[in-house]
Amino acid sequence: MRVVIAEDNALLREGLIALLTDHDIEVVAQVDDGPGLLRVVNGHKPDLAIVDVRLPPTFTDEGVRAAIEVRRRHPDTGILILSQYVEPVYTAELLAEGAEGVGYLLKERVAEVRTFLDALQRVAGGGTALDSEVVSALLRARDPRAGDGELGALSPREREVLGLMAEGRTNAAIARELVITASAVEKHVSSIFSKLDLPASDDDHRRVLAVLTYLRAS
Amino acid sequence: MRAAACVILVAMTTQARIALGIHASLSALLALIVVVVWVAADGSGLFWPAWVFVGLFVPLAIHAGVRFSQRLPTPSERALAITASVLGTLAVADVAAWAIGGAGEFWPVWPLSAFAVGLAVHALIVHRHRLFGSAREEELTERVDELARTRRGVVDAQAAELRRIERDLHDGAQARLVALTMHLGRAEERLEDRPEAAELVRRAREEATAAIGELRDLARGIAPPVLADRGLMAAVEALGRRSAIPVSVEGSLSHRPPLVVETAAYFAISEALTNVAKHAPEASALVTVSERGDALVVEVADDGPGGADPAGAGLTGLRHRVEAVDGRVEIASDPGAGTLVRVELPCGS
Repeated sequence: MRVVIAEDNALLREGLIALLTDHDIEVVAQVDDGPGLLRVVNGHKPDLAIVDVRLPPTFTDEGVRAAIEVRRRHPDTGILILSQYVEPVYTAELLAEGAEGVGYLLKERVAEVRTFLDALQRVAGGGTALDSEVVSALLRARDPRAGDGELGALSPREREVLGLMAEGRTNAAIARELVITASAVEKHVSSIFSKLDLPASDDDHRRVLAVLTYLRAS
Repeated sequence: MRAAACVILVAMTTQARIALGIHASLSALLALIVVVVWVAADGSGLFWPAWVFVGLFVPLAIHAGVRFSQRLPTPSERALAITASVLGTLAVADVAAWAIGGAGEFWPVWPLSAFAVGLAVHALIVHRHRLFGSAREEELTERVDELARTRRGVVDAQAAELRRIERDLHDGAQARLVALTMHLGRAEERLEDRPEAAELVRRAREEATAAIGELRDLARGIAPPVLADRGLMAAVEALGRRSAIPVSVEGSLSHRPPLVVETAAYFAISEALTNVAKHAPEASALVTVSERGDALVVEVADDGPGGADPAGAGLTGLRHRVEAVDGRVEIASDPGAGTLVRVELPCGS
């Protein structure tokens, strides 16, 4: 896998590069600002861009803006936002044009190396990886008395499963989390697909669509 | 007799004006009559009607003075005007008498000096409050202006300083802890064959992760990043999403208010929502943000049980934040009618 990194903090950039190199992931370029990100994605056409939210020159949400631009111009490059704080506003903006190849994780998740590498693979392959904090923020935002649209048909357990799917968990991981069997998870997942009226296609794509429906309902 | 009639008439303005007119006409008529008499007598020698003129002038001038003094607003000023007109009239009469009497040695200097001193003393008594009071008042006004200005400066500086602290935390301690967890994560991987050591490293990583979480909450409490990045509306939306109760947000802003006003509004809303979640966990809240003239108005309404205590810790803290930027807080919380917290923050500097 070939990645580019946009991170202005040298300490974190180096830590990240070391960790990726440990696992034979090639860091083809590293930049420390938003315009630089667009430049290297243009030049290297990487599988994945790992982007910090707060970048120069504005030190606000430069990274999110640059990432959205990258997504428009290079839809094949996965975007993984790493941030020190969770902002559902930014996630919503990123996902506005589809959840394929988008991730938003808190920076400390990098230290859970296995999970982090899984997330990288998934996003580079067009899947999603949302931090559990993002998902729970979205979950909490929903007014239980307001109509949930398409989600209204889901049982509480199915919503839980869908929330974990939004985080990018596999069926096996969801089974572990909810302490149920893998086949029970599969049953919930196919029930979610049919209740959300998702077209029959490959499973990964339907997962993404389900997550998108979930996020749009919030 | 005539003076008494004057005073009574003066009390009624229109009649007072007529009375002064009659008085002036009568005086003029009398003056004309004495001149005619003087001419008829022989028309030469001492012009004695001059003394009659002085006699007519004195009551007429005093009458006019009293009449015009009534236009002044305070009794003490009216009294001073009457003194001035009486003494002024007498001074003119004295000088006239001196002139008619042959303009010898200027004896009126003595009565004139006495009148001047008398008038000066009266004026001083009347205006002593104004003289000293106005200086004091001006000083206080200036002081209040200065305090308002410097307090605004302090609040501005504090907001900027908090923002700086948040950035320092983000770029410093938080980043170092994140880097630390990355190294620990890598170490953990390399210790797969030594589970005990791996376990220790894992625990260290989890501690560091918890510290990062605590720092993040702290930083958000100091200066929420989304407020600085995206402004009040986005920050309030995010606040609503994090809240334990359902929150809807309405309104829009035509431009970004000053940083300190934005910060005060944000924390006021945050405090109000925390209060709702604490005292009316079953309720939902509606946050409305609007502009009224130069002021930013935010309202947090809930459909809870009402009966909030305006002196409670939450609302007191909210009030302090708002008052620090010269804002106003109104709380309506009748039992059974929910609670409405309305905050108005002036945006002018």
